[in-house]
This record gives sequence, structure tokens and C-alpha cells, in this order.
Amino acid sequence: MPRLILSRLVQLPLILGVIFIATFALAWIIPGNPLERPEGQRPPVAVQQAMLRQYNLDDPWRFAAGYLKGVLLEGDFGPSLRYGSQRVNDILAAGLPVNIQLGAAALAVALFVGLGTGVIGALRPGSALDLTSLGVALVGISLPTFVTGSVLLVVFAGVLRWMPVGGWGTPSQIILPAITLGIAPAAYIARLIRIGLTEVMTSDYIRTARAKGASPHRVVFRHALKVAFLPVLSFLGPAAAAAMTGSFVVERVFNIPGLGEHFVKAVLNKDQFLILGVVLVYASILVTFNLIVDVAYAWVDPRIELA
Amino acid sequence: MKHFLASIVAVALLLATGCGDAPQEADFRFISTSAHHFLDPQKMSWSHDIRVIECLFETLVRVNPLSDDIEPAAAERWSVSDDGLTYTFHLRPNARWSNGDPVTANDFIYAWRRGMLPDLAADYTQLFYVIDGAKAFFDWRVDQLEDYLAPDAATGHTTTNAHQLWSRAQQRFAETVGIKAENDHTLVIRLARPTAYFLELCAFATLMPVHPASVEQHVTLNESSGMLVQNPVWTKPEHIVGNGPYTLTTWEFKRRLLLTANPHYWDRASMGNESIMELIVENPQTALLKYDQGEADWLPSIPTALPIAADLVASSRDDIHTGPAAGTYFYNFNCLPKFADGTPNPLADSRVRRALSMAIDRQVIVNKVTRLGDRQPTASTFIPPDTLPGYSPPADESPARFDPTAARALLATAGYSHGAALTGLSILYNTEGGHSAIAQQIKHSWQTHLGVTVQLQAVESTHFSERLKNQDYTICRSSWFGDYRDPTTFLDKFLTGNGNNDCAWSDPDFDRLMADAAAERNPAARLALLRAAEHLMLQAQPIAPIYHYINLWVYNPRRVTGLPLNPWKIRRLDRVRVSRSDR
Repeated sequence: MPRLILSRLVQLPLILGVIFIATFALAWIIPGNPLERPEGQRPPVAVQQAMLRQYNLDDPWRFAAGYLKGVLLEGDFGPSLRYGSQRVNDILAAGLPVNIQLGAAALAVALFVGLGTGVIGALRPGSALDLTSLGVALVGISLPTFVTGSVLLVVFAGVLRWMPVGGWGTPSQIILPAITLGIAPAAYIARLIRIGLTEVMTSDYIRTARAKGASPHRVVFRHALKVAFLPVLSFLGPAAAAAMTGSFVVERVFNIPGLGEHFVKAVLNKDQFLILGVVLVYASILVTFNLIVDVAYAWVDPRIELA
Repeated sequence: MKHFLASIVAVALLLATGCGDAPQEADFRFISTSAHHFLDPQKMSWSHDIRVIECLFETLVRVNPLSDDIEPAAAERWSVSDDGLTYTFHLRPNARWSNGDPVTANDFIYAWRRGMLPDLAADYTQLFYVIDGAKAFFDWRVDQLEDYLAPDAATGHTTTNAHQLWSRAQQRFAETVGIKAENDHTLVIRLARPTAYFLELCAFATLMPVHPASVEQHVTLNESSGMLVQNPVWTKPEHIVGNGPYTLTTWEFKRRLLLTANPHYWDRASMGNESIMELIVENPQTALLKYDQGEADWLPSIPTALPIAADLVASSRDDIHTGPAAGTYFYNFNCLPKFADGTPNPLADSRVRRALSMAIDRQVIVNKVTRLGDRQPTASTFIPPDTLPGYSPPADESPARFDPTAARALLATAGYSHGAALTGLSILYNTEGGHSAIAQQIKHSWQTHLGVTVQLQAVESTHFSERLKNQDYTICRSSWFGDYRDPTTFLDKFLTGNGNNDCAWSDPDFDRLMADAAAERNPAARLALLRAAEHLMLQAQPIAPIYHYINLWVYNPRRVTGLPLNPWKIRRLDRVRVSRSDR
């Protein structure tokens, strides 16, 4: 186990380095001038040159060196070229906690709903309950979040008025977006559990457990689910990272001040500092969660040796 | 296994429920559909930024939203010399900054100097150019920075040299630009030429003062570029000092702003509310739901290009207010002799431009595309009618009217007896904001009525703007909103060499009429000259006007008072009163 963690920790900066180089190169070559604002005036050429110089945007090598120096030594992700009043650190500091909270809530929804429907489906295959849960799972995977989100918002906030209309700050404001964001992974988890559990329940060791007189409850939760959960575990890493780095659509529909939109808008605005900032943070989260999943994998099933 | 799951869920719930604070309340609450870019008066250019800046800072004079008259603000009175060149403003002795400091003439000078510096790369620098020496000072500073940047510059890029550069610039400003403080409360401005609309400019946010001591703390010199770098942190609640009716108490990026009454404001007794909350809700549909649930009193920024606006206007709600806006949606024709790729440009011939403009069915666009119908006026002129007192745009003689027969005839005289012979044209537009549907409608019009086929080119807005400014297009969508109440805010755009002359049209007669108007001291004669200039421009059709914008506000007039809707969005949010009894 320590060897596994150590080797992953060594890989981490390498992976981040590759991601930085790729993002930096892509952000540099996308067309458009980052200091150009669609609605704005164009300053004289000399001033444009001076501004490019000021941000090191006139030389990729100097930019990369300056950027890395700022990030690694001072923890400074630089200014946002688009939102002139904000620094990337401010934007990350304001958005990241929101995404972590929302992602955690969405993951809780996904696990509760996914495990519940998956177990029901596997234990009573072909029953009305199973077919219903399969149907719900199918709808959950198929529907895009802008549909589920808008429907939930209109029904529960607009018509029934049980929930607030979007925004962020109170616990009640997290419920609808968490369901919207959690429903697709929930459906996926339900299917993984159902398939895994159906298969495991027919295996020899389960028959042995039953023959020994273990209660059905104990058989499922103690023996079968532990094995059936393994594919869910490997899915949870990227799912957690995806949920926590936000969703442009869900943030937009529910008016949540998260980071999701910057993945889209920063690229459109060619806001280089912001692009690099959000991608590096996203990549760090993704890599960290994969590490956690690997460790959890080895912990749940000691037969597995990943290192 | 169970413990593992339980712990994941427990952590998730803990994180989820432990979030945030409850929203604060305020006397007056409104929703903005855009996050703020700058709350710096000299740097800002977006109208939703201006809306908040107006609450935090106060200009010398202001426009009364009810009477349309210029009235005293930070200056209690002013005088103009007989030659119209010198304005003397007497500041209120009781005007105070939000930290208690008196507002002085030097505060204006400091703010205007930073506004005139190319270092700020501000959008509204040119508003200062009516002041004697301002344009020359800007150009001088640009040259100075250019010399500093030059690879063979004699001086090195050191902090000392950057400081010397800046010292010389300060000295140059003091010696050459026509702004002087006669004493702490007397500001004397010398203009480059008589400017009929100078007081209108003085009422514009760019000409607001800033508190020098609190801004200067966050200004540094960049030794590699020689430029002043203004750290925008000075506009954060913990640092900002303003002279307006409110102070900024909370600014949560993309969430909300809370403005509370400035205890030192000289006219505090007249304020209609003690606090204003601005909620940032970027999705207009969500914004409307929030308004309908009573979370806001005013919804001033539903984009009229979106279907939601048409739905609102068509509904029977009594809280929808519309009125003309000082803005026009139009198509630019590239007027250069050759396109960017070197091919000859058929649009250099004004007959071709006029024919294309005459073949656009504008009524279909407002009826079927924007769906605002009667409320959205189709445009035959560049300046919208009923927006400028005393000025009526030359609509009667404009070729921007749907007349397919005349359009075909005109195209034939230009040498294209078959529209199909006119090739190589495309419509450039940016992907956001509903431009695609209009472009398709216009493409269809030209195909049907002239037989001219054009390509559609949709690009992202930064790329769009770059191609527009480089004249790397044949035809492209555009829009223009006036900044101050004078025809020049629209017509200056068409002057030869103007930075906003995206169609690259040039006519010495137009330039001469504009120069004559600038020199004319009689207001009626001046407006007549400007009208003649607009007429001349319209006859050449470097642009095809499509429609004039409208303003759409949502508020309940029985609850909210003091919000007159006018084309220039002139408002006094400090005078708004909200009655909560009706909720």
C-alpha cells in the first residue's frame, strides 16, 4: 500500500506537467487576441505591444516561465484577462468551495439512489420494482442535465414553490442542483450494481454463505455487495472529480457561482490565465481522486495489487 | 462496506449542508444578468458596470431623469466663458468622500489624468479629447512608451527608468493639458474647441472623480513595459472610497453586491432607500423566476434579442415596461477597394450597398425573428428617432427601406444584371446573442429578391471582434449604442480614421460637414449640419440599419417608484422607493 501511494505521488507532478504543456500550447494557438474585447475600443498598437509585454503574452517561453514561477513559488495564478477586476486566485477561491459542496451533495445523491435501485433490481430481477428502477436509470442516463434541471426548477420552484429558484448560500438551494447533477451517475451506479450483484449472487461463495445459514441481509451487504461495488468504486473517482469541478449547464440553470462555466467561457474569451488555472485545478482534483480510488480499491479487495 | 458507504455519505452531507450564509436583505433589490467587469469609473465600459458605479461615485453634473435637464451634482454651480472654451466648476464645500475626506478639484484632475493615459487601455479615453491638450498628451505618452519598448532603446528597462518616464509624463500633463485647480473647490477646464455637449460628457461615468490616496496605493510601475499598472483591488469593498450616495459593502463575484448609504453623502436627506442589493443571475429565465417569486423588485436587463423578451412583451403582465433605446442594430459593409484576401470588393460601389440594403425585409425580422413586432422600430437611419431632443434623423430620404424592384434596378446599373454575378460575399457574425436567425433571414431576402447568394460565417466573439477591427470580412453584423445625448456619439464613428469606423468608409464631404458642425455655435444650425452629415452617410449606405433597440424593464409600478424609463437609461437609484406592504 505505501508503495502504491508513493508511486502515484511521484506520477502526480509528471501528469500535471504534461497537462500544463498541452493546455498551454492549445490556449496559445486558439485564434483571437486575449486583450481584444468584442465590445471595446482597440488601443494604439504601441499600447497593445506594451500590454502584451506586461502580461508576457508576446513570448510563449517568457509567459510559461513567468506563469510557472508565479504558481509554484507564490501560489499566484495571475490576473483574469476577461474579468479585469478579479484575479484567477479570487475566482478559484470563490468558485471551488461551491463546486466541492455541490459535487459532494450530488455524489451522495448518486450513491443513495444508485445503490438503492441497483440492489432492489438485482434481488428481485424482473419484478415491477426492478423494471421501474431500470426505466428510471435509463431516463437518468439519457436525459441531458439542462432538461432535468429545467424541469425540476420549473416544477419544484416555479409551480409548487417548495424550493428556492436557484442561487447559492442556503442548504435548501443545494437540493435541486444536487439531484440534477447526481441523477446521471446514480443511474450508472444502479446499472453497475445490478449487473454486478446479479452475477455475484449466483457464485459459489454466496451459495456457501447461504448454506451456512447467513441471513439474506447479511449475504447481500456483507458478502455480495463488497464485490459488486468494485466497478462502482473505479467509476467514483472520475465521477467525483466531474461532479466537483462543476457543470456549466447546472450552474447556469440554477445560478450557481461555481467554476464550471469558466471551462467553456475562459476558452471562448481566450483568457489564458483563467484557462490554465481552472484546468490545473481540475487536473489536480482528478488525479487526487483517482489516487483515492486506487487506495480504496486495494483496501476493499486486498487481492488487487496496483503498484 | 457499510461503514465505508456511510462515511462517504456523511462527509458529503456535512460538506453540502455547511455551505454559505443566508442572503442579506436590502431596501431595493434588482437583478443583473451579467457579472461585473470593472467598478473603476475610468476603466469601465459596460452598462451594468455603470449602473453600480453611478451609485458609488458622483459626477460634476448629472442629467435629471424626469426633466432631461442638466443639474448640479458634485459641482454646485458652473460658468462658461463667452467663447465657449472655458468651463469653471465650483465644487460643493460639503461634498465628502465615504471616508470623510472633502471632495476637491484635484481629485477630479487625478481621475481624469488616469482616464487619459493609454496605460489604462480604457474604452472611453476619447471622451477626454475635447479637452485642450488631452489628445496630444495621449499620443505623446504612446510615443514615450513606444520608445521605451523599442529594442534599441538607449535606456534599459529598469525600475528607475520607468519612474523617470512616469515623472516626465506627469510633468507633461501638468504643463499641456487644459485642466487646472484654481483652489480646492474650483476646477477650470479649457476645451480644444467649443463643445456643445461638454456638460453631457461631464455627466458621464468616465468623468467621475476617484479618491487619489486609496487608488494610488494599488498603482505600480511595470519596468518591462514602462506602463502604470492599476491593481483593481482598490475597487473591492475593503478598499474602495467613493463620493456617491452609496458605499460598496459586499461584492461576491457572480453572486451579489450590497450597497449601503454613504453616511458622508451631501444629499443623503433626499435618498429614497438606505440600501441596494444587486443579485447576479446570468440566466434570464432564472432571473425572471426569481423576480416572480419576489426576490427582486426590478429586472432591468432582459436581453431583447432572446425569445423570453418576446414572450414577456406578448404576455398580459402589467409590470412590463418598454421604450426606445439609444441603440441600433445594423450590418456593416466593407467599403475598402479590396477585401483582406486581395480580391476586388464589389461593395466599394455604393450602388451595390444600397441595393443590398433595399432588399432587406426589416419588417419580417422584427415580426418573425425578434418577435417584438410593433414595439421594435425597424431602422432606416443610424440614429434612432425620439432619442435626442431637437434632432430628427433624416428618415424620409434614406435608402434603407424595403423595395426589391428598385434594388434590382440599382444592382443592374452597378453592372450586375443578374444577382448571381455578385459573388464572394459572406455575412460574418458572432455565435452568441441570436444573430444567426437574423443572418439567415437576410441571406434569404438577398437570395429571393436579388438572386445574390451569400455565405454565413459564425465565429466566436473574440475572433469576430478581431476580424471586424482588421476589416477581414465582407459584410458583418454590428450594433451601436450612444453614450451621451448628442448626435456625435453616433456619427463620429463614420469619420475617416475613427477607431470605430469598422466599415472603413471615408468621405471628405462627411468629414467636412462634421467639422463645420463642431465649429457651429448656434445649436439649431449645428443640429442641421449633423442631420445633413447623417443624410450623406445614409445615401452611401456603408451600413444597412436593421432595427432600433428597445429597453425592457420589469417592475411593479405600484410598489416601485422613481424609475422612469428613458432611452439613455438615465436613472437615480438613490431616489427609488419600494413599498413592501403590497407583497
